[in-house]
Amino acid sequence: MKYRIITLLAFALIIAGCAEVETKMQAYPKMYSPTEKPVSMLVVPVVNKSTAADAPDLINSTLTVPFADNGYYVLPISIVSDIFKREGIVEGSQILGLPAGVFKSNFGADSVLYVTINSWDTNYVVLAANVTVGMSYVLVSTADNSVLWSYDQQIVVDTSQGQSSGFILLDIVSTAINTAMTDYIPIARQVNATAVATLPYGKYHPLVGQDGDMEVVLKSSREKALEQSD
Amino acid sequence: MSKKLLVLLFLTGIITACSTVSPGGYYWGKYMYTYHDLVKDPSTESRAKHQETLRDIISESQELNLRVPPGIHAELGNLLALNQEVDAAITEFNNEMELYPESRVFIERLMSGVSQGGQE
Repeated sequence: MKYRIITLLAFALIIAGCAEVETKMQAYPKMYSPTEKPVSMLVVPVVNKSTAADAPDLINSTLTVPFADNGYYVLPISIVSDIFKREGIVEGSQILGLPAGVFKSNFGADSVLYVTINSWDTNYVVLAANVTVGMSYVLVSTADNSVLWSYDQQIVVDTSQGQSSGFILLDIVSTAINTAMTDYIPIARQVNATAVATLPYGKYHPLVGQDGDMEVVLKSSREKALEQSD
Repeated sequence: MSKKLLVLLFLTGIITACSTVSPGGYYWGKYMYTYHDLVKDPSTESRAKHQETLRDIISESQELNLRVPPGIHAELGNLLALNQEVDAAITEFNNEMELYPESRVFIERLMSGVSQGGQE
């Protein structure tokens, strides 16, 4: 519930226009070109810039649903990540130098999605804790290596729940428990949902081609994703 | 202004949607949960649970007259192949290709692995 409110507030801020906002069409013109718009999407292993070693696999498991729901054919991530592992590729930075065209010939994918985990951590302030999950997404065409879509998103959630037992030690313990690993996943899902809201709909979405006027793309977030993935 | 309001309502709709059919028009069942468990702790048990989810998605999608989500038939085919159930695996791979023609290159690669006697 709390996550929903925070996400909603984030959207409200974007829409209220404290920063430069673009329409989907202005931000991602290639996604509206009949010849350049991708149908299929290959999610390659995540680049992990956080200190959490198991974050990439867990993040991988959250990506299929939002991107498929947005109308794209997402090549089955569970199978794809096994194939990469068999080839000795477990971390996204191992393939960053490869031209995207490689994935056209090997997987038949029109586009490649590069995801970078920028932050995945907890800050304790005595009795309170904040969990921060930040990710950037860059979708690249396998036809010509050009960027089709990019977005950077970060969400901070207060996990201390605001209830004090009156015993400081107990509170510290419960804060730490509340901020266990699995708590990151629902937050990661919110990060995905917020970012994907800026992605133009794909072939299998009922509103494909009709969302170009939606003013939902924060220009700074679109540009930041490109810097993060360098 | 009214357009912005619509967008806000739409986004709120996505975020609060808890119904069985997703905003993209798919039925995902317990996909996110059993897949997460499989990634976190790969075992015969978590694999069986995920396989059960995939079968539920396929049958429930047919029931609800929805397109089976991308990758579901392929994932099921892959699990069946790992289990040496080759014929059933090939059937699922063909289902995926029929439903999503853009999967052809990938699925044919998987199928050649299976017919060569497993892809381990």
